[in-house]
Amino acid sequence: MYLNSIKPKMRVIVAYLAIPVVVFVFTVFVPLVAALFYSFFDWRGGPNKTFNGFVNYSQLMADATFWASFRHNLFLVVMCIIGQIGIAFILVLMINSKFVRCKGIHRTFGFFPSTISAVCVGFIWTMIYDYKKGLLNALLELAGKGDSAIVWLNEPKIIMWIVTIPLIWQFIGYYMVILLSGVAAIDTEILESAEIDGATAIQRARYIILPLVKNTLIVCTTLCIAGNMKAFDNILVMTSGGPGYSSMVMALYGYKVSFEQNNLGYGSCISVAIFVLALAVIGGSQWLMNYLMTDKYDRAEMKMLKERDKQARERMKALRKAKKGGN
Amino acid sequence: MAELTVVKNETQGQKVANTIFGVISNVVLWIFSLSCVFPLVWMFYSSLKVKREFNRDIMGLPKAPTLDNYHRILSNTDYNLPTSMFNSARMTIMSVFLIVLCAFVLGYILSRINFSMNKPLYIMFLMGMLIPIHSLLVPIYIIFSRAGINDKWFTLLLPYLAFNLPVSIFLVQGYLKGIPTALEEAAAIDGSSFTRSLFSIIMPICKPILVTVGIINVFTCWNEFTFALILIKSTALYTVPLGLKQFTGQFTSDYPKIMSAMLLTMSPIVIFYFVFSKQIIKGMVAGAVKG
Repeated sequence: MYLNSIKPKMRVIVAYLAIPVVVFVFTVFVPLVAALFYSFFDWRGGPNKTFNGFVNYSQLMADATFWASFRHNLFLVVMCIIGQIGIAFILVLMINSKFVRCKGIHRTFGFFPSTISAVCVGFIWTMIYDYKKGLLNALLELAGKGDSAIVWLNEPKIIMWIVTIPLIWQFIGYYMVILLSGVAAIDTEILESAEIDGATAIQRARYIILPLVKNTLIVCTTLCIAGNMKAFDNILVMTSGGPGYSSMVMALYGYKVSFEQNNLGYGSCISVAIFVLALAVIGGSQWLMNYLMTDKYDRAEMKMLKERDKQARERMKALRKAKKGGN
Repeated sequence: MAELTVVKNETQGQKVANTIFGVISNVVLWIFSLSCVFPLVWMFYSSLKVKREFNRDIMGLPKAPTLDNYHRILSNTDYNLPTSMFNSARMTIMSVFLIVLCAFVLGYILSRINFSMNKPLYIMFLMGMLIPIHSLLVPIYIIFSRAGINDKWFTLLLPYLAFNLPVSIFLVQGYLKGIPTALEEAAAIDGSSFTRSLFSIIMPICKPILVTVGIINVFTCWNEFTFALILIKSTALYTVPLGLKQFTGQFTSDYPKIMSAMLLTMSPIVIFYFVFSKQIIKGMVAGAVKG
């Protein structure tokens, strides 16, 4: 909806746009290009850097730690989709039941963890997992299983599970509130008539609520994927990628290589890889969700429409040709 | 007759099932929401204990509540907590002000004015939203140190403005779609300049969405850690998350002290949240869904 009757002078528009656009380009696009540029150099942060072609990239391809970090990112994504959105969906079904009181309190309390900084969440859970003074081991003690207490943050085998739990905990309420807004948009008449027709709570959830909040679920999943591809601060505070590299994630690895080993050339190369991989995962998941959410009837219909469009276009072409020929 | 009783039994059965479901729901929801605020409560009463008492009993209420921990973290100048809170507050206020202002102006121009650069700029901001910002971590450090602008008081303004601008612009644009152009046209006919219409006619109409944009960004800017970690080196410029980061490793044995530091630095945002929780939740959800 453009304004047609009014057109301010170009000078005025430029004056308004210049500063924010310059800042945006300088902080977003210039670094991107720079990362691509520096990724072809062997550069340790000093004044000298030497061009070494694709050496950084071939090193990256063979870098087991980097690919392990990428797998950890994917692990986080999958676990958080199941944990956060799954649990949030169940809680939404519960909160909508007419027996539940104090909905406002649940909403306010549940949303709270997502408003505090990841550093605080990391600290809180470090205290919970602590061996001697941790809540978790204290609870185990209370339950009479004191001997199964371990140093939770020091077990390479389960460390990814351990660092995922705080992430899940922090954002359940967030997705719960988003889903609630989706469910609130459903016409209550549909649910009531289903209830009268004898649909059980589970049936109602599966066949009515779930399909109707499809779009909200897609939004949540996208947020969840994008959020977990950039996991960084929680893990930095809790384990800093350790023990060893067993809880390393991509952004943290790039940070460590660049600032602790001072290898800025290779760090830039990792940044480029993060850019490509994160975009690929987000784009791929979008495609997959669209594919899963449309069933085969939708797809057949889409195909038919496309076919019809194509035919129409060809007919137009033929017509135009015939006209030209006639002239 | 027999049939009737069966029907009655069924409804009764359903009633029982519904009641059980209701009870379970209530219990589960209370466990969930209490687990969300429990750490806050636990940290609060534990911060009133001294270290020795905490080590003896981590769960119990303090027997002799003391403000000793707060006294110690505030009087020790090494921790710099008041300074970091001041820095965070300054950075948050400035960034939010700039984001709201720029998002409003850009969103308005991009959605209402027809000029040659409109589409390219729109696509540029759209791309900005898709870029995984953590891939910019290392290059932004390189560029900023090349330009000599890292570790300054204004350094963080640039990334905070740039990264939060796209979503904010789209929120403003979405809101403007529902507002007729007749207002500006009438104002223009009456001789109001572009700038005057922009700030004294459109801005008041857009107030609800601008408040939403502001709320979302208060939280992101106050809590932002990653870019602060990379771009800020001198302790005098630390923001709150950086100030807290000092406590890892160094004082891990003194939990009550860490807790009081965390509570102290969280307090402004926690109070802000619990006072305005309804609007905040609404705003953040709108931002997440539409952005």
